Amino acid sequence: MRITPETKLTVFYCQNCFKEDSRILEAQMGSEVALYPIACSGRLDPLFILRAMEQGSDAVCLFVCDEGMCRYFEGNRRASKRVAYTRTLLDEIGIGGDRAFVRFLTESEKAKPVKMIAEALANARKLGPSPLKSASAKRRKK
Amino acid sequence: MITATRKSLDEIKNMIRPYTRVLVAGCGSCVAECAAGGEKEVAQLVSALSMAFKIEGGGPSLTEVTVDRQCVNIFLDELEDPTRSHDAVLSLACGAGVQALAERHADRNIFPALDTQFLGQTKSPGLWLENCLGCGQCKLFYFGAICPLGRCAKQLFNGPCGGSQNGKCETDSEKPCAWQLIIDRLDGLGALNRLEEIYEPCDWSLKQGRGPRKIEREDQQS
Repeated sequence: MRITPETKLTVFYCQNCFKEDSRILEAQMGSEVALYPIACSGRLDPLFILRAMEQGSDAVCLFVCDEGMCRYFEGNRRASKRVAYTRTLLDEIGIGGDRAFVRFLTESEKAKPVKMIAEALANARKLGPSPLKSASAKRRKK
Repeated sequence: MITATRKSLDEIKNMIRPYTRVLVAGCGSCVAECAAGGEKEVAQLVSALSMAFKIEGGGPSLTEVTVDRQCVNIFLDELEDPTRSHDAVLSLACGAGVQALAERHADRNIFPALDTQFLGQTKSPGLWLENCLGCGQCKLFYFGAICPLGRCAKQLFNGPCGGSQNGKCETDSEKPCAWQLIIDRLDGLGALNRLEEIYEPCDWSLKQGRGPRKIEREDQQS
């Protein structure tokens, strides 16, 4: 899946959260969602989020294992700190830090990936189009 | 190593806004270690600036490059052509690196993206502490390898001030009292007698009083 201007939500998720194949999940979620599994949420780099926003996503969600449940002990905690840092950067850019968010998943939530992603997508829709898209649209009108 | 932190995006944007082609140049040494100016940070900054300028309606085109050290002339050779082919350079090096690059390009604006901070150590991932002032007269031998100038808030040379509580500094209860550390360490080494001597104040003329310092060694020159 590539992020396109159609993409409303980019999802990075720890492979220990959702066991389903990302292609199957993408087929279920449609073109508004781009999914990127990572070996552990601790692999997340702020640049992943920035690139997703830059390429046209309206919001980025990171799904991580619940507190104390990370297979590698600290991956989820580190990832959520990196998202917090990226939110400050997105605020500075003028995009709005609330467009990047973390969702800690309980064991029962991990079994419902489609529902969890749909909730995150609803959140992304509430936020509306990214200011980057509005800026591009204005330029096109001119 | 030399530590630094990134300037605000607004300050950086204001510097480079008038230019068309800007080279964003990272440094792979000290400032990479303190997560301020290495390859990763260059990529993040370029991405952030590209988006910020896009929202504003346009800005310079940005090119990324990172060299091993911007403060060493031989590494700056790698930046020679890229610098010439751009209108300006946004350098993510420390102040020494920015100046070294600027010295080679009289006709190019070289801007700093970082605020250079201090000489310090990486205590743990994400934590950098100042511990050396570069006074030019190292006396760490006497103080159990803990510098009272770099680490005591009052830079006291001859014993604690009396304000420390529970081993913490009175100026900040989070910071350890340097003199508590010195005494504990010398005690552990059985070398408390080193503190019986009275140490004269540091000769600051060696650090700042005679202008910029230089070290010159003929045996190292070509």
